[in-house]
Amino acid sequence: MRARALTRSAALLGASALVLTGCFAGPAKGPAADVTAKPEYSGTLSILTKFAGEPLEPYFEDLAAAYEREHPKVDVELIQETDQSIKDKTKTLTASDALPDIYFTWTGNWAENFIRGGRAADLTEVIGPGTAWGATFSEPALSAFAHDGRYYGVPLYNNGKFMGYNKAAFDKAGVEVPKTFEELIAACPDLREAGYEPIAFGNKDGWPALHYLQQLFAHNVPADVRESDYDPETATWDDPGYPIALEQFRTLVSRCTDTGRGTNGVLYTSAQEAFGQGRAAMYYQEILEFDNTTSGGALEPDDLGIFPLPGAAEAKGDPRIVEGAPEGYFVNARSPRAALAVDFMKFVTSAAHAKTLSAPPYGQPSTVVGAVTPQTSSKAVQEGIDLVNKAPRLAGWLDMVTAPEVADAWLAGGEALISGSKSPEQVMDSVRRASDSAK
Amino acid sequence: MRTLYRRAAGLAWTAPALVLLAVFVYLPLVQNFGYSTLTWDIYSGSQEFAGLDNYRDLFADPVFWTSFTNNLWYALLSVVFQVFGALLLAALVESIRSTRWQRALRTIYFIPSAISLTVAGLLFYFIYEPNLGLLNHALEAVAPGTFDHAWLGQESTAMTAVIAMSQWQGFGYSTLLFAVAIQRIPAELHEAAALDGAGPVRRFFRVTLPLVREMTGLMVLVTVSGAFQVFNEVMVMTSGGPDNSTHVLGTWLYRSGFVRNDFGHAAAIGTVIFVITLTIAMAQLWFTRRRRVEW
Repeated sequence: MRARALTRSAALLGASALVLTGCFAGPAKGPAADVTAKPEYSGTLSILTKFAGEPLEPYFEDLAAAYEREHPKVDVELIQETDQSIKDKTKTLTASDALPDIYFTWTGNWAENFIRGGRAADLTEVIGPGTAWGATFSEPALSAFAHDGRYYGVPLYNNGKFMGYNKAAFDKAGVEVPKTFEELIAACPDLREAGYEPIAFGNKDGWPALHYLQQLFAHNVPADVRESDYDPETATWDDPGYPIALEQFRTLVSRCTDTGRGTNGVLYTSAQEAFGQGRAAMYYQEILEFDNTTSGGALEPDDLGIFPLPGAAEAKGDPRIVEGAPEGYFVNARSPRAALAVDFMKFVTSAAHAKTLSAPPYGQPSTVVGAVTPQTSSKAVQEGIDLVNKAPRLAGWLDMVTAPEVADAWLAGGEALISGSKSPEQVMDSVRRASDSAK
Repeated sequence: MRTLYRRAAGLAWTAPALVLLAVFVYLPLVQNFGYSTLTWDIYSGSQEFAGLDNYRDLFADPVFWTSFTNNLWYALLSVVFQVFGALLLAALVESIRSTRWQRALRTIYFIPSAISLTVAGLLFYFIYEPNLGLLNHALEAVAPGTFDHAWLGQESTAMTAVIAMSQWQGFGYSTLLFAVAIQRIPAELHEAAALDGAGPVRRFFRVTLPLVREMTGLMVLVTVSGAFQVFNEVMVMTSGGPDNSTHVLGTWLYRSGFVRNDFGHAAAIGTVIFVITLTIAMAQLWFTRRRRVEW
């Protein structure tokens, strides 16, 4: 190597070393947010929502406009994402230390990551038990965002997963609402005979399969075992109920869907549409989807019935457990406008706005006490929320309550079960491996 | 003195571009390598030095090898269709005597390239859809019950289905480039060969092929390099599923970072992609510096 080239290489290496040591010091920690301070009504307040697309998008747009009218010096900057895109967006903003003042969160492992990482402001003083604002929410919804006795989240709406069914299709096929998993499977040939796809199902995104699996796990695996398996430190994933649930899921896909092994090639929105257009007799859906399936299609609101996915007669878990969880918002712990963010969220969760959120076309059952009533919400939403409230326990979304590597193993496993490339035992093996690596 | 001044002036003129390159290209490259040696918790911001652990985990990761194999499969099929297939088609189009037809065909073949990959991916998703998709309906009409597939929903067909869309999208652009290369060949050479009794096939192999060798070599390198940078079409059509069977290095990098929260692993994949594409780029530079074909 010539002297000049050697000098250049040394300089390049030196510069690289400087860059490396300078760039990996981690994000600068700002001062902790003071959520109890008097808000200063000026500047830009940024908020990351999960309400992109119709019919939800206008909800926050209208609120932002109303808030700006009340406080002319405040500019509310909305970043609206979809259910799928918000996961990546939130993590990108977190990694680059650029989270907005307020941002959407699920419960479970997803929320705990932000809390443990010091990214979510402690709202105990303003929303905890005994506070005026906290008293407006249902206690389980508030507790869903609690960690070590402190309260971090603003619960916006409740959610649960139920089998939606077309009452007219059931009548035409002479089928009763199934009480057990066996009855559900037995009803499928009759519904097909009557000219319907028994259950519309699309799993292109992977998570719809997990929703079935988590409810079936709740039926077949004792709750304490299940919850201990969420934490990689205590997880074994060896309860015999898991493979039983996976086998039930395979049975449901092969006998009750028209797409069968090809279900991974179908969007969940296509399945939703098949149900809404009256081509399918059933569609497993979140409460948040109820008003959407009956808007503009062939399915009238009065024709939409719901029932919890039934457990098998011999199930070892608790068939009364409902899959679901509230969803809400965090205030950025490093936001210089934390007090203003709290004020905005109080505005969002006021009784009037909560009722608007719970009513069609939004149909998102608010966690604010008294917001979901027969006057404000559709019959199905009201019924769904009643079932959620009566459930002895909720089982959170599988991809949100487990560690990311485990969630990813479940996503791949659900797809493999559908396509037939893996047996239930093989899926469990891959989940156990992922759980071990997450320790 | 004057030389020194000229050098300083040259440096001053190129400085803005150099700064931009350093900040937006070389610094991220160095940073990425740094990240690949860390265990990084994006939530707390804590970063621990992990040495080459991420690389060791990467080479023991079966999905990484699936992704790498898919990239190779992508490269192979792209070379077959977008280089040799496109060359053959360009030769056929250029052999048509009517310039009006030539123009019309070039336009028809080029149109898919004008569509964004995301739009094309969505379009093909609906073509492949098992219930309502155009492809299954067409196949059902031709051979009932024979080819009915969930093309993107099964491991056995998903990757090939994604690659097929990609070939459809990129085929016309390659054809156009080859058409330009063929047009540069002096007509006298073809005429002389024809006078010597060479038919169209022989003329293709004896005249066209040797004289577009440069473009062919370049296209092979560009196509292979592009095959290792695939991302959009896989993300739009399958997101790497079912059961991680359609991941390519780009999508597995993305999933490792943004779904599995393992940014060190993701950065290690980034380094591997960089090494592969850098090697191909070096080959490309070497290739373009060789003596050009002259006539």
